Parts: sequence; structure tokens; C-alpha cells
Amino acid sequence: MTKKIFFHGLVAGIFSAIASIIYYRVHYFAFEVDFSKLVNIAGLVGINLLSCLVAAFGYWLFKKWFGNKAEIIFNFSFSILSFASIIIPIAAKLPLDIQNPELFPGLTVPMHFFPALAWFTVKPLFKE
Amino acid sequence: MKRLIYPIAAIAIIVGSAFTFIKSQDWKISDDYSVKFTSEDPSGVFRGLKGTISFDEKDLAASKFDVSVDVSSINTGNGMKNTHAKSEKWLDVEKYPEIKFTSSEITSAGSGYQAKGTLEFHGVKKEITIPFNFQNNVFSSSFEINRLDYNVNTSEPAHGASLLKVDITVPVSKA
Repeated sequence: MTKKIFFHGLVAGIFSAIASIIYYRVHYFAFEVDFSKLVNIAGLVGINLLSCLVAAFGYWLFKKWFGNKAEIIFNFSFSILSFASIIIPIAAKLPLDIQNPELFPGLTVPMHFFPALAWFTVKPLFKE
Repeated sequence: MKRLIYPIAAIAIIVGSAFTFIKSQDWKISDDYSVKFTSEDPSGVFRGLKGTISFDEKDLAASKFDVSVDVSSINTGNGMKNTHAKSEKWLDVEKYPEIKFTSSEITSAGSGYQAKGTLEFHGVKKEITIPFNFQNNVFSSSFEINRLDYNVNTSEPAHGASLLKVDITVPVSKA
């Protein structure tokens, strides 16, 4: 993996984590429903960094396999995967002591798009 | 006249006792109760348990349960399933907001007890017998009900399980 792609993933991960934490707080103040047993700050930072670094690794592989067409194929794949992944929080069965599980997708579904959004946002800073 | 005092007092006590209302011990439901139902699909809990519990191990004849749960409190752990469960097709919360049990007779059964009474669920009243135990100020019970007996989505008998195991634990304190 090139240094540029790695830092692209890292910076996107940091931005995505920041957006997730802000959204997490906003959601809590708006609905006053506590999902901290399932979603917490450390977890959000970890999962966002991991997602964007995995994306960086995927981008690097796509560059190797598809050459000039790598970016468009990667962007489509990243968007489709982000969209498909929303089924996970929608179908999740939460512990029964957590009240208002119907508000859980409202918290987590938007977050599933944050890594891709951050990746595309910071892309111009890492032009190759 | 003095001779009559004691017979009159005895008669007064006997007659008076006929009007004495022997009330069983009343119990207050603690907040940490649990009303769970399990099956292959779905499983979940109900909140909103309320009602009166009069129970005396030494006076079962005067004991009585009159309790209900709030159907809209159903929690299966999944928001979509909760919404479906509350809909007209399933539990129809708007029309049938409560599940009620009123006992008519409580008797000893083995090492525990059983309460015969009427379970009103989804607008259907059925006589059932619920086995239960009472130890350390905690009522516990486990029994099965078939949703089809209570006309819950009878048009789709194979959609989800029809037989549900119900586990109830109700810690109580003296009222």
C-alpha cells in the first residue's frame, strides 16, 4: 500500500469518527435514548478507522487489478457496500433490556455512510 | 341477668364473625419483574405489569390474582418486529391494549400452586390453569400458550411460531 493511500484512509477514518461522535451526541440529545451498551465513543473511533483503512487496502488492491478504471469501480463498490450494510442495524436483535429498539437504525444507519462520505470528501487532498 | 352476659357475648362474637371479611395478604409488584415469551421466532418481553395480587399460602381460598400487561410495551429487541407485533395483523394494540389474567381459584399443586382463571388476550377469553411457585417473596411461573387459540394472525399460522413459552418472575413486597 502506498503512503498516500494509507494516509487517505487514516484521515478519512478520523473525519468519519468525528462525524459519528457528533451524530451520536445529537441523536442522544434529540431522543434521550441510551444505546451506550451497544455503541460507545471508543467503538465508534475504532470501527471508523478500521473501515477506512480496510477501504484504503481495498483501493490499493483495485489499483493493482483494474489500473485506470480502479477509482470508478472502487467508488461504486464502496457506495454499494455502504448501502447494503444498512440491513445489519435494521435486522439486528438488541438485548431485551434496551428500550426503544426502533430508534436504533436511526442512530446507526446514517453512520454506515460516514466512511464513504469522508473518503470521497478528502479524496482531492490525496490526488495521485 | 349476670348469667346471660357470657352467652350473649358468645352469640355476639359468633354473629359478628359472620360479617368479618378475611382478607388475604396483598402484595405490591416490584419494578424488576420480568414477563418473557420465547419461541423459535419471535421472543421478547412485556413491560407494564400491574394489578392486584392477594396471596396467602395459608389461605389459598382468599387468594386472588387480577393482573394485566400493557401490550404496547412489547419489546422483541428489533424495532421493525415491535411495529409489526403491535399492528392490526398481530396483537392489534389499539383495539386490545391489555392482556389480562383474573384468577378464580388458587390451589396447591405438588411443591407449588396453580391458579385457575380467565386469560383475556386479543379479545378472546379462555379458562386456563397457570402453575406457579412462591419463594422468598418472588412469584415465578412458566407455561405455554398458543397464539392461534387467541385468534392472533390466524390467517398465517406458519408465520413465526404459534406456540409461545411464557416465563414470568415477579418479585413482590408486602403492601
